[in-house]
Amino acid sequence: MRPLRLTVNGDTLETAAPAHWTLLEVLRYRLGLTGSKQGCDKGDCGACTVLVDGRPQLACLTLAALAEGHAITTIEGLMPLHVAAGGDGPDPVQGAFDRCGALQCGFCQPGMMLSARALLNRNPCPTRGEIREALSGNLCRCTGYTQIFEAVELAVAESLGVAPAPRAWEEQRMKPAEAQEQARRAAAALAAARERNDGGPGARS
Amino acid sequence: MKLEPRAVPLQDAPPKRKVKTTQVVNGIETEVEIEVEDVPAGQWPPRASLRVLNHDIPRVDGPVKVSGAARYTHDVRVPGMVWARLLLSPLPRARVAALDLEAARAVPGVVHVLVVEREETGWLGQPVAVVAAETLEAAGDGLRALAARFEPLPWVVDHAAAVREGAPAVGRGANVGRPETDGDEARARAALSASATRVRATYTVPVQHHASLETHGVVVDYRGGEDAVVYCSTQYAQGFAAEAAKELGLKAGNVRGVVEHMGGGFGSKFGLDAQGLYACRIAKELKRPVHLMLDRRAEFLMSGNRSGTSMTIEAGCDAQGSLTGLVAEAWKHGGLGRGSLSGLPYCYKAGAHFRDVRSVRMHLDASRAMRAPGHPQASFGMESILDELAYAAGLDLVEIRRRNAAHPAWVRQLDRVAREIGWDQHPHRTQPGKPDREECIGIGFGISNWGSGGSSDCEAEVRIEKDGSVVVACAAQDLGTGTRMYMAAIAAEEFGLPVAAVTARLGDSRLPTGVASGGSVTTPSVAPAVKDACTRARGAFAAHLAQVLGRSAEGFRFGPDGVRHDGMTERLAWSKACGTLPAEGLSARGKWQESLQTRGVRCTQAAQVAVDPGTGRVRVLHMVCLQEVGLALNRLAVKSQIQGGMIQALGYALGEGRQLDSALGLQLNASFEEYKIPHALEIPRMTTLIDDDDTRNGVAGVGEPPAIPGASAIANAVHNACGARVRELPITPDKVLLALGKVV
Repeated sequence: MRPLRLTVNGDTLETAAPAHWTLLEVLRYRLGLTGSKQGCDKGDCGACTVLVDGRPQLACLTLAALAEGHAITTIEGLMPLHVAAGGDGPDPVQGAFDRCGALQCGFCQPGMMLSARALLNRNPCPTRGEIREALSGNLCRCTGYTQIFEAVELAVAESLGVAPAPRAWEEQRMKPAEAQEQARRAAAALAAARERNDGGPGARS
Repeated sequence: MKLEPRAVPLQDAPPKRKVKTTQVVNGIETEVEIEVEDVPAGQWPPRASLRVLNHDIPRVDGPVKVSGAARYTHDVRVPGMVWARLLLSPLPRARVAALDLEAARAVPGVVHVLVVEREETGWLGQPVAVVAAETLEAAGDGLRALAARFEPLPWVVDHAAAVREGAPAVGRGANVGRPETDGDEARARAALSASATRVRATYTVPVQHHASLETHGVVVDYRGGEDAVVYCSTQYAQGFAAEAAKELGLKAGNVRGVVEHMGGGFGSKFGLDAQGLYACRIAKELKRPVHLMLDRRAEFLMSGNRSGTSMTIEAGCDAQGSLTGLVAEAWKHGGLGRGSLSGLPYCYKAGAHFRDVRSVRMHLDASRAMRAPGHPQASFGMESILDELAYAAGLDLVEIRRRNAAHPAWVRQLDRVAREIGWDQHPHRTQPGKPDREECIGIGFGISNWGSGGSSDCEAEVRIEKDGSVVVACAAQDLGTGTRMYMAAIAAEEFGLPVAAVTARLGDSRLPTGVASGGSVTTPSVAPAVKDACTRARGAFAAHLAQVLGRSAEGFRFGPDGVRHDGMTERLAWSKACGTLPAEGLSARGKWQESLQTRGVRCTQAAQVAVDPGTGRVRVLHMVCLQEVGLALNRLAVKSQIQGGMIQALGYALGEGRQLDSALGLQLNASFEEYKIPHALEIPRMTTLIDDDDTRNGVAGVGEPPAIPGASAIANAVHNACGARVRELPITPDKVLLALGKVV
């Protein structure tokens, strides 16, 4: 047994586990934080993704001992941390996943949302390509991913204060010209925001 | 459960009448005649008047899922629980030569060692022993301490070896099953001889894994005594509870089965399964709860799969492209099971056809139902031969489908899908493109169908509480497709309430009779029962209000603006109306009704791909799907499910397939690293369309049809792009290069 002192979702938690235990094992089998899912135990599926100092990390490939001294965020902490940072209610990523129907069984979603949160931390206005890239380590078997991409885009659009590009499920009910115009506006807003971020002092990437 | 004792029993059994419906038994559709109550047929409101249904509704379980609070079986923790792990046969067939039980029992923390096969194993991945311990870690140590030794016995894990004379027998009986035939061989062969154009080819599809993100498993909460609660990642809450009761030696009514949330099943998760039975046995022995989830390798080896198929098809058409004859000879590869393969010419009509199908058994895990069992295999053969025939006859690929489709809905769908994918501007409509550029663009098509009838046993209960809240309950489980959400939405629609005012309870064996969620039956079973319960509850509430207010029961209307009566000017707020109810509120039970469902869902898809003839790499650029759904309860969820099916088909086309080493008896890809399911970078642009020209006002299951034709469309698109006809899925780059003659 090795004593462990971990900072999880803003709390300092003390526990003990065999020295070779992974962060995922400690979260699920010591700390009762079962939101991080166990899908493969070898870094293939991404269901265990957590944030370590804001960056996505596979908890099943991370030794718990090496996570000491770092800020760990699990899915359980996403909303509390958003509220602590002055936000209201769930993290915008969580809200967008909910409203876009970006989940079915939901087993992959905690990891998926943390990968999305990590992306937005370093790049607040990602393109569809950058979203795909950032989520490519998280497998989903139910949804076909499209509504997941759209959820991340909704979170981005809302942070920019614009309407998102029409979602695949909406296009059927919009007039083509109307859909094109909304897509154009969303793309322009994104491009303008990216330019500001790249050049401005507030650039975060 | 709170709801049960307060349920209002149904009145004396009303007269019955017979109706025809489709039932799915272990994934196989069968048309049956059943008896239903002869009550006035319920109807959904006209689509234009719907306020909640047929719109985009966020899920009622969205918040609990996005917050990480949703509890899956894997996450269940109960006091005193022990952790169990399985030892699997590492070979397809072997003698169990040594198991050191004493050493395993001596491992600190190990509390039980259960041997389930002492003599001889007969399939790769067959459970041999189970070790239970105070920690998962100790259970693993216990498995290693068993120091199991297996002596190989002759096995067969591929078609050629299984059919060879003198091959090791797989179980009792011959390795090759008796032929299942349909059609008229003489007529079909005569039609082929007389056809203007005929082609013949052999197509092969691999074994596909369900690859649910949550593995199979159970938590059996039994601590001695008369009662138990069993949590299971399953598609049938009531089924496994009964099995667990039997294994635990308890009364069926004393075992509660719970499926709060489950991480995908796709047909692989019915019943308690082997690991569930072992967990019950250990719990019974120890009088302690047992947690037993498969790890990913076990999930690949022992939790079922979609059977593979090899089929040789010969088809002919007349000068106009009408199919005149079709003869098929096929073999199903379902391991110890029989596998499944739908009929040919699948969704098309031919002048005459004949089919001879046999299963070839091997020392491998038995196949199970997987999303539209037998259909993707048949679709791949049929759509491929149809394309080959069209090219041979110089016909347009859409035209040959329009001409031969067995239902006019497909004709309408083909026109729309062709328009969406850009068929009219595509240069290769009657001949494939050539591998003469870096990126060759091709388009392919496919059509599918599924019966989707509901279960007449399904019931639901609706309770209107005195505080104005509404609870809808049914034992069926939500696989993530949105069952909870539409149960709540149906009640919200009925009573004029916001969806949030309704609580849906499900996934609990003690609730009113549900249904096994397989073969797209959940929605056409549960939604009619909920609707019927709502109608009855509304009637009972109106009768109650009639008494309280001294008005006629028929005059009451429930809407977003509250309760109105035709003879009253003022409105009564919903909460106020509910306040007049007795303390126990009001409840009604409903039953499935045929008039509220619809059967027969047709789907058409197109795929546009880019093939690099230098590397053989295929990228899917765009997929279009147009699907009938009857009355869509929640358009947002329907589209998500359609897209999920399309992407499973993309995986089937390009990457998935069990790989075995026949000599060593190993599965080479029993993990997500080597068994590749599609990821975010492979997802094409998706145009997902609900076929609103389907005006049938009944609900249908939508999950199976979209998983069928995509792989066929992609395979045909690869050929259409550059002339590489790959007749064996998955279409990996090596096969494309081989088909192009670039490697030999």
